[in-house]
Amino acid sequence: MITASQKPINEIIGLVEPYKKVLILGCGTCVKTCFAGGEDEVAVLASALRLSFKKMARSVQIEEMTIERQCENEFIQEASESIKRNDAILSLACGAGVQALAKRFVKDVVLPGVNTTFIGIQERPGIFTEECSGCGNCGLATFGGVCPVTRCAKKLLNGPCGGSQKGVCEIHPDTPCAWHLIIERLTTLGQLDSLRTYIPPKNWNTSLSGGPRKLVREDHIL
Amino acid sequence: MKLETTPKLTLFHCLNSFEETSSQIDGCEMKTVRMACSSMTKDIHLLKAFEAGADAVLVLVCPGKNCRHAEGGLRARKRVDYVKTILDAIGLDGRRLNIFNTTAKDKGSITEIIRNTIQDLQTMGPNPALNRLN
Ligand code: SF4
Ligand code: SF4
Repeated sequence: MITASQKPINEIIGLVEPYKKVLILGCGTCVKTCFAGGEDEVAVLASALRLSFKKMARSVQIEEMTIERQCENEFIQEASESIKRNDAILSLACGAGVQALAKRFVKDVVLPGVNTTFIGIQERPGIFTEECSGCGNCGLATFGGVCPVTRCAKKLLNGPCGGSQKGVCEIHPDTPCAWHLIIERLTTLGQLDSLRTYIPPKNWNTSLSGGPRKLVREDHIL
Repeated sequence: MKLETTPKLTLFHCLNSFEETSSQIDGCEMKTVRMACSSMTKDIHLLKAFEAGADAVLVLVCPGKNCRHAEGGLRARKRVDYVKTILDAIGLDGRRLNIFNTTAKDKGSITEIIRNTIQDLQTMGPNPALNRLN
């Protein structure tokens, strides 16, 4: 999933302040799972904004809505009536969702209510970890399903740096050493030998370093 | 801003921490919200209580290990702390919201908590988000 965290409320107030009617639009998929932009977060933010504007003696109408996915036109459509009757949309989806709205509603103001952070998982309730950097050329098969591109602080591809202690990365006691995990996992799988293969320097052209990427599926284009 | 009207309190409580029959305390208007368990304390309900006019909101939950659902009180406390940060950020003052461990039998402590809240409101003043428009 894409993880995100809500922007500080005062930053959000600053963003929506110029408008009289604001739609807070949640997304019911990734950002809901990480407690940043689902139905519940929309309701809490709407309530906080109402209280805040009342305190400032400002009359701002806040409408609340959450759609299943803000990155798909099919779902975005459901919000078009609400978008029409408001002056601005405060989207609680990830950056992809915000831009999908902006592309579709060219004349409407779309504001981001969250900071999009990374591709990750919920490791345990309330704790999310980064697992993939979307490098465009996945090597998880070699690394026993643990990504050193993302989870090794130095992005090393040919073994650990020598700074890890008791399975912990030297950058932070909270960070497991990715290479420790890779070796443990390959040992369990009986595939430790796969580490004998030299991994050449990574070609970052397939990553964001090569500029904005596009995924084309010819068989789905009409 | 000093309080010139009767303070309005909303009190959320779990089944074991408070008895509604003993709820009336002189000097305040009190609404009570009974929850089957303190784990049902939700950020949105606390904020809505302020939107509905409360000057202060209290959450009463059973002491630590007495919670029938083990972690209810802990969850409630975390949510209260979260809402306090929101109230502080928007200038409503997080001190308007508090959580206490009580048992329904200990009426003396509950009365004292409510009296102290009313007293604190004398210095904090009314809910600043109310009656500012029109
Ligand atoms: S808009 Fe972003 S947060 Fe929502 S479903 Fe799509 S990718 Fe996930
Ligand atoms: S190798 Fe690349 S695609 Fe695979 S998990 Fe790591 S960053 Fe993601």
